[in-house]
Amino acid sequence: MLQQTKSSMKPYIYLFPVLSILFFVFTLGLGISILQSLGYYPGIGLQGFTLQYYREVFRSGAFFSGLLFSFKIAMLSSGIAAMIGISLAYLLVMQRKEYPGLQTVLKLPVIVPHLVAAFLIFTLFSQTGIIARLGMLLGLIESSQQFPALIFDSRGIGILLAYIWKGAPFVFLILYQVLRSIEKDMVEAARNLGASGGDLFFRIFLPLSLPSVFSSFIILFAFSFGSYEIPFLLGPTSPRALPVLAYIEYINPDWTNRPYAMAMNMVLAGISILLVWLYHWIFKHYRYFRKEG
Amino acid sequence: MEKATRKILLMGMSALLILPLGMILIWSVTVSWPFPELFPRELGLRGLGAILQPGAPALESLLTSIRIAVLVTFITLGITIPGGRALGIHEFPGKGFIKIFVLAPLMVSPVAIVMGIHGTFIRLGITNTELGVVLIHIVPVIPYGIRIFTNIFELVGDQLEEQGKVLGAGSVQTFFHITLPTIMPGIISAGSLIFIISFSQYFPTLLIGGGSVRTFPLLMVPYIQSGDRMMAASYSVVFIGAAVLALLAIENVLKLYYRSGTGIAGVFYSGK
Repeated sequence: MLQQTKSSMKPYIYLFPVLSILFFVFTLGLGISILQSLGYYPGIGLQGFTLQYYREVFRSGAFFSGLLFSFKIAMLSSGIAAMIGISLAYLLVMQRKEYPGLQTVLKLPVIVPHLVAAFLIFTLFSQTGIIARLGMLLGLIESSQQFPALIFDSRGIGILLAYIWKGAPFVFLILYQVLRSIEKDMVEAARNLGASGGDLFFRIFLPLSLPSVFSSFIILFAFSFGSYEIPFLLGPTSPRALPVLAYIEYINPDWTNRPYAMAMNMVLAGISILLVWLYHWIFKHYRYFRKEG
Repeated sequence: MEKATRKILLMGMSALLILPLGMILIWSVTVSWPFPELFPRELGLRGLGAILQPGAPALESLLTSIRIAVLVTFITLGITIPGGRALGIHEFPGKGFIKIFVLAPLMVSPVAIVMGIHGTFIRLGITNTELGVVLIHIVPVIPYGIRIFTNIFELVGDQLEEQGKVLGAGSVQTFFHITLPTIMPGIISAGSLIFIISFSQYFPTLLIGGGSVRTFPLLMVPYIQSGDRMMAASYSVVFIGAAVLALLAIENVLKLYYRSGTGIAGVFYSGK
C-alpha cells in the first residue's frame, strides 16, 4: 500500500505502451469504421451523418440471409464444440491419470491454423473426399455426385465442421484444468456421501465449471461469427457469411460502397458486444443465485 | 458409467479429432490418387520438394512469416508484461475499465478493425510493409498476453521483488534475476500462443500487406481454393511442422537458459 502512494503514476506508465498501440490501431480502426458506417467519409466527399446505410443494409436480402447464416453457424459450432470439449475433459479427469501423450496430441487442432482446418474438412467431406470414397467402396453411393454436398453447401455444414474441429480441443484444454481442480477438491467427499457418476457430472462438475464453459463458448462464438477465412474457403456463394459479404463490398472499386461494408461490420461487432454483456449479466445473477441456493 | 467405458469413449472421441490429420500427411506425399480409389496410386515428394527446395518462393515466405511472428511475439511480450503487472499488482482509478478494454479485441471482429484502419495505414505509408503487418498482428494477441500476465502477477505479487530490493538489488537486477524467472512459465505459454496466432493470420496480412508482404498462409490459400490437394497438403504439413518446431524451441531455449542460470534465477525456476 505504501508503494502506491509513493508513485501513483507507476501503473499508468506500465500500461502506456500497450494502451497506445490499442488506441492507435484498435480504437482508431473501430472509430473510423463507425464514422464511415454513418456516412462520414470525407476522403470520398461524404460529410454528413446518416442512418441511410444501416437502413439499406437491413433491407437487403443478402445481408439478412448472411446474418442469419453467420449467427446460426457461430451458435451451433460453438455450442457443439463446448459440449464435446467438456465431455472430453470430464472423461479424462475421471480416468484419474494424466495421459500426457493424449493431452499433447489434443493440442494439435488448436495449433493448426484455420486455413489448414478448412483444407482438412475439404479432404474428408468433399464429394471426392475420403468419406465419399468409403461410401463408394461400401456400395452406398454409385458416383461422387450422389454424395451429399457438405462443402460449399447452403446449410454451411463444412464451415460448421471446421469450427467444431478447431473449437472442441480448445474448450477441452481450458476445461480440463478447471475440472481437475474441482476433482481434487470435491469428488472424494461427494463419493463418500453416495454420489453416482451422473450426480458428479450434473451436480458438481457442470455447475462449478459453467462460467468457464460459457466464457470459452463466447470466445469461440465471437471468433467464428467475425472471421473470414473458413466461410471464404468452404462457404457457398449464397448465402454468404457476413464478414465475406462485408469484404466484397469493401473491395468494390466504387468507394461509395464502403459505408455498406462498415455498417455490416458494426452489426457484427454490435452482436458480439451484446453477447459479452449478456454473459456478464447472466453470471452476476448466476453467482447471486448460487449463493442463495 | 464404468471406468472402462469412459476410457473407450475418451480414446474414440480423441481419435476422431486427431486421425483426420493423417489425411493431410498422406496427401502431402501423394502424386496421384484418383477418385474413387481408397489408397494413393503413386507416392512421391514432389509437393514437399517444391516448397522446401532452396530459393523457392514458399521457403522465402516461410522465413517472412517466422520473422513477422517473432517480432510480434517480442513486442507483445514487451508491452503486455508491464501491462499485466500493473493490472495484477496495483490498484488505481480506471483499472476496471482498462481490464475490459484490453480484452475487447477478442470480441470485435478483426475484419471491422482492419478495414477501419486500412486508410490510415495507407496515409502513413505502412501498408505493403512488414511494419504495418506486425502492427496489425499485435492487436488480436494483446488480450491473451494481458490475461496471462495479469493472472500471474496477481498470483506472485511483488513480495519477492521487494525482498530483492531490501537486499540491495537495483531495478535491472531485480527484473532479470527475480521478475523474469518468476513469470517464465507465463512467458513460455503467452509466447507460444502469440507466435502461433501471428503465424496463422490470413485476412489482416492480405489487406494490410497488400500482396507485397507474402507470408506462408497467403501463398497457401490459392492451392486450397483450386483444390490442388497435393500442394495444399504439402503447405499444411510444412506449416504445422514449422509451428511445432517453433513451440519446442520457445519452450526449451527459455527453460535451458533459466535452468543453467546461476543464482536465484536458476534455483527459483528449477524449484517450481
